[in-house]
Amino acid sequence: MKALLFVASGALFGFLLSAARATDYAAIHGMFKLTDLHLFGVIGVAIATAALGLFVLKRAGARSLAGAPISLAHKPYHKAVFLGGIVFGVGWALSGTCPGTALAQLGEGKAYALATVLGIVGGTWLRQRQGQAAKVA
Amino acid sequence: MTLDWPFWIAGACIGGFVPLFALVSGKVLGISSGYSELCALAKPAGPERWKLWFALGLPLGGLAASALAGTHELATKAEPVSSALGLGDVATLVVLLVGGALIGHGARTAGGCTSGHSIVGIALGAKSSLVATLGFMAGGFAATWAWVALAGGAA
Repeated sequence: MKALLFVASGALFGFLLSAARATDYAAIHGMFKLTDLHLFGVIGVAIATAALGLFVLKRAGARSLAGAPISLAHKPYHKAVFLGGIVFGVGWALSGTCPGTALAQLGEGKAYALATVLGIVGGTWLRQRQGQAAKVA
Repeated sequence: MTLDWPFWIAGACIGGFVPLFALVSGKVLGISSGYSELCALAKPAGPERWKLWFALGLPLGGLAASALAGTHELATKAEPVSSALGLGDVATLVVLLVGGALIGHGARTAGGCTSGHSIVGIALGAKSSLVATLGFMAGGFAATWAWVALAGGAA
């Protein structure tokens, strides 16, 4: 039952990414070439709206409707964050997708997104394997 | 091509989704870590297993949006990516695979992606998210303009 709520939420979010044209290769490519600023507008408005909503949520006690606490903690900062960000950004430009939009693209019928998704799974797996190896060493 | 909402409507819906989803589910949006859950499928489900369910819903949304726009079709060719890159279908798929691997690897190093860092993290005023997003943009711009320079404007 819980799983169904999350599948439905994911479907809604995927729908919004698609409607925002974030799944459109030309839109991502145009953003980095500065020939199509549409997605900068989407991201900017999304951040502002999310900030307002999360602020209200925090002031209201940061609890869900069911009463569970919502963790609004910041993600930890460390030196590798910027470097990892650059690696991500190169992949973002090459594939024209991010982790969410690659999956939404699959639903749109873009079969080539399967290559992107497999790549993301592989990269995630590799990074975690390296992380574990580093801990052992 | 699928739906094409104005940037401020699409942006407000994506941004508004974050607090509403938190209110209903008690969870804070993050997508790249859903791939970690997929990699950890053999292990017993932990508190993050919901991210896998969420990720599985994303294609359904893409399907609904393209069906609503009346543009849903199975594209077996790698267009428009291949013509933008100036490559054949197989080479394009290799670029997508490598690009995907960099996305997955980089997201785990940075601790999140465009949803968890760039939208949620910046909205919360997190330093790590701002730095990560600057990295995303730096990498994206550098790769795009390097490709343009190397391809002599073909991209």
